[in-house]
Amino acid sequence: MIRSSVADESRRIAPPGAAAPERLAEFRVEGVPPYDYRSTLRWLWSHNRHSPWVLFLAVTGVILTTARNVGTPIIIGLAFEEVTSGGSFEGLFRIAMLLLVVGVAGNLADVVGAYSFSVLGARVQKEARAELTVSLLGKSQTFHNQQRIGDLMARSTNDIRTFWNIYDPGASIFLDNIMTLIFATAAIAFINPELLLGPGLFIVFGGITLAIYARQLNPLVIQEREVFGRTNATLNEAVSGIETVKASAQERQEERKFFRGATDVRNVAVAIGQLQARYYPLLILAVATAIGAAQAFWLFSEGEISSGGLVAFLGLMLTYRFPAEISIWTISMVQQGFAGVRRIIEIIQTDTELDERVDGHAARVEGEITFEGVTFGYGGRPVLEDLSFTIQPGQTVAIVGQTGSGKSTLTKLVNRTYDVTEGRILIDGVDVREWNLDSLRSQIGAIEQDIFLFSRSIRDNIAFGAPPGTTEEDIIEAARGAQADGFIRQFKDGYDTETGERGVSLSGGQRQRLAIARALLTDPRILILDDATSAIDSATEDEIQLALQKVQHGRTTLMITHRLSQIRWADRILVLDGGRLVDQGSHDELMGRCAIYTRIFSRYDSAA
Amino acid sequence: MGFFMDGLEAEDYDRKYSDKDLVGRIVTYFRDHRKTMLVVALLAFSASVLGAVIPFLISSVIDRLGEDGSAVAFSDVVPIVAALFASGILVWVLNFCRQWLSARVVGDVILAIRKDGFRAVMKRDMSFFDQYPSGKIVSRVTSDTQSFASVATLTLDLMSQVLMVLVLAGLLIWVNPLLGAIALSITPLVAVAALAFRRIARRTIQQAQRSTARLNSMVQESMTGISVAKAFRRERALYAEFTEANEQSYRINLREGFVFTSIFPILITISGLGTLAILLVGGDRVLDGEISYGEWYLFIQAVAIFWGPITSIASFWSQFQLGLAASERVFALIDAEPAVQQTGDRPVPALRGEITFDNLVFRYSDQETVFDGLSFTIPAGQTVAFVGHTGAGKSSIGKLIARYYEFQGGRMLIDGHDVREFNLESYRQRLGVVTQVPFLFSGTVADNIRYGRPDATDEDVLAVAKRIAGGEWLDVLPDGIATDVGEEGKSLSLGQRQLVALARLLMQDPAIVILDEATASVDPLTEAQIQEALDVALEGRTAIVIAHRLSTIQEADRIIVLDHGRIIEDGTHRGLLQGGGHYAHLFNTYFRHQSPDYRPGQAAEAERQLEERELAPAGS
Repeated sequence: MIRSSVADESRRIAPPGAAAPERLAEFRVEGVPPYDYRSTLRWLWSHNRHSPWVLFLAVTGVILTTARNVGTPIIIGLAFEEVTSGGSFEGLFRIAMLLLVVGVAGNLADVVGAYSFSVLGARVQKEARAELTVSLLGKSQTFHNQQRIGDLMARSTNDIRTFWNIYDPGASIFLDNIMTLIFATAAIAFINPELLLGPGLFIVFGGITLAIYARQLNPLVIQEREVFGRTNATLNEAVSGIETVKASAQERQEERKFFRGATDVRNVAVAIGQLQARYYPLLILAVATAIGAAQAFWLFSEGEISSGGLVAFLGLMLTYRFPAEISIWTISMVQQGFAGVRRIIEIIQTDTELDERVDGHAARVEGEITFEGVTFGYGGRPVLEDLSFTIQPGQTVAIVGQTGSGKSTLTKLVNRTYDVTEGRILIDGVDVREWNLDSLRSQIGAIEQDIFLFSRSIRDNIAFGAPPGTTEEDIIEAARGAQADGFIRQFKDGYDTETGERGVSLSGGQRQRLAIARALLTDPRILILDDATSAIDSATEDEIQLALQKVQHGRTTLMITHRLSQIRWADRILVLDGGRLVDQGSHDELMGRCAIYTRIFSRYDSAA
Repeated sequence: MGFFMDGLEAEDYDRKYSDKDLVGRIVTYFRDHRKTMLVVALLAFSASVLGAVIPFLISSVIDRLGEDGSAVAFSDVVPIVAALFASGILVWVLNFCRQWLSARVVGDVILAIRKDGFRAVMKRDMSFFDQYPSGKIVSRVTSDTQSFASVATLTLDLMSQVLMVLVLAGLLIWVNPLLGAIALSITPLVAVAALAFRRIARRTIQQAQRSTARLNSMVQESMTGISVAKAFRRERALYAEFTEANEQSYRINLREGFVFTSIFPILITISGLGTLAILLVGGDRVLDGEISYGEWYLFIQAVAIFWGPITSIASFWSQFQLGLAASERVFALIDAEPAVQQTGDRPVPALRGEITFDNLVFRYSDQETVFDGLSFTIPAGQTVAFVGHTGAGKSSIGKLIARYYEFQGGRMLIDGHDVREFNLESYRQRLGVVTQVPFLFSGTVADNIRYGRPDATDEDVLAVAKRIAGGEWLDVLPDGIATDVGEEGKSLSLGQRQLVALARLLMQDPAIVILDEATASVDPLTEAQIQEALDVALEGRTAIVIAHRLSTIQEADRIIVLDHGRIIEDGTHRGLLQGGGHYAHLFNTYFRHQSPDYRPGQAAEAERQLEERELAPAGS
């Protein structure tokens, strides 16, 4: 991330004479080791290297387990030899005890190894989730506007869940398989090197077909994740928009959309299943075993190997079966996991446009706002073009213009929700990009159109963003100022009432008053009031207006409102049309001079 | 267990099903695939039996080799080697056919259960969505269904394995009862271990799934509220909360990992003990000359062959439990009783739009009674504005008419018919609802306008869009009606979204229109045009208007003033104003706020001014 922001540096306008300052994402967490994003494996390693003991136990455990798996047929071969060569029961008993010791030790190693691998998987899972969350919180608003929440969710839950599979069963069984192949093949060579024919055939051809298989599987697995993410997003949208779906009786249409996605998921899943069915290593093992057995019998009839050797060889050939059978599954698990890792890294690595100057300007904001030739656009099309104006500290400025003329966007440039494309915005004479983001944003309060409340108590929602040390009294005081105390106390649980998805449903006016209380509590120097939500019912309108007036007092206020009186009494009015500033001035100056502005008041004669 | 299970409680609609019920329900999903499943089972069984034949073959070779302790002619073992070769290839072919078929069945069944899950979600009434975070609902439909179908294929595998074990057990006991008994003695031990495991596994899995669902909804909320979090620089607090949930999930995952990694070594230990016993007892018999080498070898291998099916029984339990726990959650979702219950299925080809509330009782919850016996009649074609304080029940009227919520007493009649008798889908097609923050689906503006009538052409859409605000609003959209609205319409301004929602309503051509604060977000420049559009939109339709726009209210045919769920005034704008009651007072306050001259806190002065102007309606 640091690397990418350095690359960003070139297109930024650095202040003259200043050394290139360090810029970081909007949000980051200290004390997290840097991870390596150059490849999936390196990334995984950069996580695991911090758990060396667990890694050691995992590898040792699995190796010892494999040694037991391979040792067992050899010991049985020994027992066979003991019996066929006319040995004693005591000899047999000693060999049996050896088997017992190897078995118990192997099982302990098995538990330790497998559990250690789960620990590694769970840790990566946890760390990756945190890493992704930090990265998402640090991304710019532009990034978030482009993302489908359902897709982000699918990534952060289902994709991360597949990480575990990389370790358990993935790595643990993969290691087990490799060690089995090595140990068993070595043991067979030890019995008689000529016996390597069967295992050799299996290893060579099994390996080749496995590689082909993996190559065919990979694109399907990636496709599966993608289709799944898309379907998840469709479903999420249907659930979020359920009221609209029901109101227009379009359950069937949503059903069709979802079914189409679900059918795609099914088709990819079936394609994967059918590819798995055609899995050649098992066929090759069957052939190799038959050839090996024939050869072993031949060698035995020739007296080249003993009966114990023969039995041990046949037993060892059986140990190949597990790697052959399981690798199909392990590979798909690992591939799914890797695909998941790639999708997570992709999100984490997406350049965030906005980054922060660590050593940026931090000071008390007086409230002077200057736009100098500001142009802003999303994806190549300009929303605002060449805006220039200055607002004095403490002024109340209303922005008017038709829906879509860029009013809300203009306000969002001030606290760097978005960054300008051209020109610059100065607060107290300092470019907003030179400000320390914490200092800047903590002094700009925004009351947005669509007020979002978190699933927590009303108290916590009001105190959201409040400075540390905010007391209960402060919260209640703010709620009173926002004329919200009254309705809050009408709830059974008062300030403890839950809001958000699981909580009480609040009217637009109630939400707005909570947002005003929030703003009063954080005591911002600049207030942005996107007051489209006039969801206030008439009886409480006066209260709201009082609350708004109170919150504007002594602050520079940028205001978008439908309330004619607020526009009229504003110190200054900016008139936007199609992203351009067509006029600015006081109500009296604009009336008559500006056609668009006059139109607003044309139906009212008193203001003329 | 303790503290770290906090917040992982089941949802209210979760219920316990017996394993038998669950399995029964699952079986019904496989009913259509009965024949395929039978073939799959046969294939699996044949493959297992063929696989089990191999040790018998080898043992017969060893017997021949061992008779005089030295070599026999190699040609004697050729047929056996050939049989080994053939059976190996045959097993592969059988497995190929089995997997090829079962992949399709599993895919189809998962698809079917997902469809049912989705339909169930669509059928729930609004109270369900108020209550449960959408992230958790979504995770049931997409994630939980995934492990569902595994239950059936696992069961089939298990059955074929059990059959094989039975056949093999019979053969072994027939060959040598004592060694056969020893080899079989591991079976009950494995069964006991697997059963104990089953209980633990199920609980662990459920907790893991719930903690995942919790993380899920937490991430979703952070992403939905990201702009607020950024504006207040509260990323750190959100992150702290997330970290807490993440740690909890980690601990639960570790426990899940431990439970699942310990089961295999336990089972291997049991089978190891079996091998050991046979090695000793069998070896002793061989030394005594009672049995042949080949038999001894066979029994040592038998434990290994038993081990396969029996561990797959054990891993069966883990996966089976995974599937059952998931199915339980999916079925609970499917079976959750919708509060909105229709008693009939009367189709609604056309509506005049007469609405009658007859002594209607409604509460959201036991504590929160909204209406306690509300009665009124709205004749067809009338536009009625509901006004009153917050919490007076204005929005509830619209929601009840739309059948989002169920009322608890009294009747609601539409065109004289009990609303419960209607076919819900057909009824709702006759309704149009526009809310204050309209929801748009990702896609273009045109897609959203034709949402209620997917067969409408672009020309139809354009025609309708032009009826709203003279189509002027389309000019500021970069690609006109082909403009992409982004997720939940985020690329459009709130005002634009409302215009789209109004166009969507016109396109749907409903008989009853419910406008819930629908014009609130439009800027002053567009407001007048919206009003004209509403005149067009509401003509000839019954309209329920919950509005704060003076112009909308005063243009209504009738105004009903609500207070705490009761009607306190009912009449025309003029009539009510002349009555000088509650509405007159509200209107004064209202007018005052919407006048350009209004200044907050100057109520007394403003009221005086108003009286002087004789309450002249603005904008007319």
